[in-house]
Amino acid sequence: METGGIMTTQTLGVEKSRERIKTRINMGMGMGIFLLPLIWMDTTTYFTLTVAGISLGMLIFLIASGLTLIFGLMDVLNLAHAAFFAFGAYAGAAVLNGFDSLGWISTASLPESLLYLVSALLAAGLTGAVLGIATETLVIRKVYGDHLMQLLVTVGVSFVIVEILKIVWGVNNEVVPVPMGFQDSFILWGVFIEYFRVVAIVLGIGVFAGLQFVLKKTKIGIIVRAGVENREIVKTTGYNISRIFTLIFAAGAALAATGGIMMAVFNQAVDPGMGDQFLIFALIVVIIGGMGSVTGSFIGAVMVGLSFNYVAYLIPKMALGVNFMIMAVILLIRPKGLFGKE
Amino acid sequence: MTKKISAPETGICPERTNKTIPVMYYQAGLVIFIALIPFLFPSFRVMDVVAKIMIFTIVTASFDLLLGYTGILSFAHGMFFGIGAYSIALILFFAPNPSWVHIPLSIVVSLLVSIGLSVIISFFSLRVKAIFFAMLTLSLAEFAHILGVQWSGLTGGEDGISFTLPSVFNFNHSLGTLFHTEINGRLLVYYLILASTIALFAGLLRFIRSPLGRVLKAVRDNEQRTTALGYKTFGYKLYSIVFSSCTASLGGILFSMWLCYVNPGSVFHTAIMVNILLMVLIGGMGTLYGAMIGASFLIVTENWLPGLLKHMAAFAPESTLVNNLADRWQLYFGILFILVVLFFPKGVIGTIRSQMNLNRQAKQP
Amino acid sequence: MSDPILSLDAVHTHIGRHHILQGVSFSVASGGATILLGRNGAGKSTVLKTIMGLFPASGGKIVFKGQAVERKKTHEIARMGMGYVPEDRAVLFNLTVEENFCLSMIVENEKTHERLNEVLELFPALKKFWKTRAGLLSGGQKQMLAIARVFVCDHSLLLIDEPSKGLAPIIVDQLGESLLRIKDKTKVILVEQNFNLARQVGSDCFILDDGRVVHHGLIQDLAEDKALMKKYLGIG
Repeated sequence: METGGIMTTQTLGVEKSRERIKTRINMGMGMGIFLLPLIWMDTTTYFTLTVAGISLGMLIFLIASGLTLIFGLMDVLNLAHAAFFAFGAYAGAAVLNGFDSLGWISTASLPESLLYLVSALLAAGLTGAVLGIATETLVIRKVYGDHLMQLLVTVGVSFVIVEILKIVWGVNNEVVPVPMGFQDSFILWGVFIEYFRVVAIVLGIGVFAGLQFVLKKTKIGIIVRAGVENREIVKTTGYNISRIFTLIFAAGAALAATGGIMMAVFNQAVDPGMGDQFLIFALIVVIIGGMGSVTGSFIGAVMVGLSFNYVAYLIPKMALGVNFMIMAVILLIRPKGLFGKE
Repeated sequence: MTKKISAPETGICPERTNKTIPVMYYQAGLVIFIALIPFLFPSFRVMDVVAKIMIFTIVTASFDLLLGYTGILSFAHGMFFGIGAYSIALILFFAPNPSWVHIPLSIVVSLLVSIGLSVIISFFSLRVKAIFFAMLTLSLAEFAHILGVQWSGLTGGEDGISFTLPSVFNFNHSLGTLFHTEINGRLLVYYLILASTIALFAGLLRFIRSPLGRVLKAVRDNEQRTTALGYKTFGYKLYSIVFSSCTASLGGILFSMWLCYVNPGSVFHTAIMVNILLMVLIGGMGTLYGAMIGASFLIVTENWLPGLLKHMAAFAPESTLVNNLADRWQLYFGILFILVVLFFPKGVIGTIRSQMNLNRQAKQP
Repeated sequence: MSDPILSLDAVHTHIGRHHILQGVSFSVASGGATILLGRNGAGKSTVLKTIMGLFPASGGKIVFKGQAVERKKTHEIARMGMGYVPEDRAVLFNLTVEENFCLSMIVENEKTHERLNEVLELFPALKKFWKTRAGLLSGGQKQMLAIARVFVCDHSLLLIDEPSKGLAPIIVDQLGESLLRIKDKTKVILVEQNFNLARQVGSDCFILDDGRVVHHGLIQDLAEDKALMKKYLGIG
């Protein structure tokens, strides 16, 4: 019996490392494609676009990570995600507007700007978490295990949240004041790089690393992963599973909301329909990366951000289309996405 | 074997015994009533509402074929509606001198586009799981919406395009009056909608009552078992997706003809898809007739609810919050939507049918 | 009998339309192992699940350590000191052995760490596969882990549901030895179909049939009573 156990582990180990090498080769080839645009542009432009693409990718990752987290851990596809995103954007923008009315935004130095952004992020995250908790306890809890009902009910929730948003903040586009410090840029290898882009990249990587750490290394991560696999065991061990699920949902919603305010600052504007526009990115990213995989979403987001920027420079009208093409190709090769599991 | 698959509870295949005759009378009565509406109610608003109800009955019923009968949730259904609407609008708008020939032409074009796209979508549905498919179609539908807005050279962007119908269908083209009602192009379009609705609805009924429809229900209930019984389920799903998409795009053509105007917001927006979903849910998934009830309920409320709310808000003219709450009548639709999904998932017809089944079971123990 | 650690009084359980438990009453004293016997579908597993709060009791009283628990949530009952090992090797396949134990320790202190060392001595195989995913263990090892991960918690009562199901006879013997050592430390209620294992581990025994307790006695006496065995257990 025991030897059998060892055998399986060993053969599995070999297969795993083979699989890993294969993945690496594939990833190397994938990276190679992203050098392709160099044929049509000079290196400075390429570098500028790459930085912009990565920072866009990180913003998309913020939205997609919440979506994939909720799906991967709770087996719920939350179509209200876009609404959390838009609501977070408005909540954060309200904070920035508050600072602006005090005259702080237009004179902010870089550290001050960071401080204002962090408070906007916190406000957005908190709003998202509250919305998430309300949605989970009032609605989602009743439809666990039924995908169709989940899809339908979250469409309804999304509709309601966006309508509430319009009641609170009106239906028109609004300008978001961007703290002065972020409008500066620095020069790296002959390319102007805005500070906000760096902030976006740092935040994206930070969230990615944080999620990985929490899920893989902490006790709460173990409980969450266990809860996904077998709710009964987790319950009988003495954990309140429904509170854990509420927590995950709130975290996912908070990620969407912080993504919302980041995107609002990035575009310097908010509008009630902004959720739908970026949901499409998030969906593509989650499909490319494989549902439920945080790593997949991270890589998918970078891919989408980069290709969107390159193509937007070369053939502007094709920018979104190219992402669809990437998605279609990946789905045809790997129907479960790059990192999708059975 | 077959009996097990078409469980009596779903009640989709009613026994064709002596029950059939009264149903036919109801149907005929309904058709005659709708046909007489332009003469009974001189106001354009009633006619407008009834025409839209008919169009959305078709679109919703075709969606029900997918959702209720095949168990596929596709968010791209609204997109096909939009494809139909835009194909006739674009052809009539850009044609140098539009004639009646362009109407069948646009039908052919929209059907070809719909068939092509739905076949592609079907191939993806074979490869991916249901939840994945929902995401895929949702992103596709969003893509169509963005395309409609941004490709302004062709679609006129957010502003959309308005056009006039050719020959007898032109709204200014009058054929004289009958019982004090002017027989003009609009009235002809109204009857065209009525005739098409009857034909398409009958087609859908025929589709689900055919052996093919029964296999679809089997696919919905248990795809693996259906495969194991020797059916190649992919082919059946393909038929279902293609057939319902084409029906939806025909519905789009009718919609476009009725309004003589399209813009991305009115045909491609997710709100349209949400409305279609709500109509299916209210009427009852997997009932087909539910589409009529859902469409009637939604379109009637959509037409009169905003006015009603405005009247109510007039009592508190000072409060902006009350006014905002009155303005955003879609909010109440959203809440209704959630409540229906959570507490009334079978819809009107579904609930009635399961009640009837219970009664029947009680009678024969 | 001294103060019972757990007592059930006319407990009823419905699952859907089915009336599974129809007034189960019994009480067990602390110490040793109590066996629940009965044929398939008699309601043995349902008894354990109802005690644990996984199925709501539709009637009757369940008292654990002097407190009524029939209205409590599962996780609250677990935290009162009741451990539950479901049937079918209930371990978390995607977690490593280490993580499985980590999950079990709802409190971590010196005592639990001591207990962990003890448990690993009892089941040395688990130490060997400490970093392996539990899904890769053999059936017997999984069952050992399932019991060990609950035992580590220093509960005052362990409910164990058919640990021998689907295991090779030699593994069942090992399991019996482990259970003997476990029952010396913690009160165990064991549901078992394998009569030999049950006789090896326990003394006090209840027989369930059609959702009711139909017999109570010592398992050694039961082994002598062929008629009873035939009637309720179909062994003979």
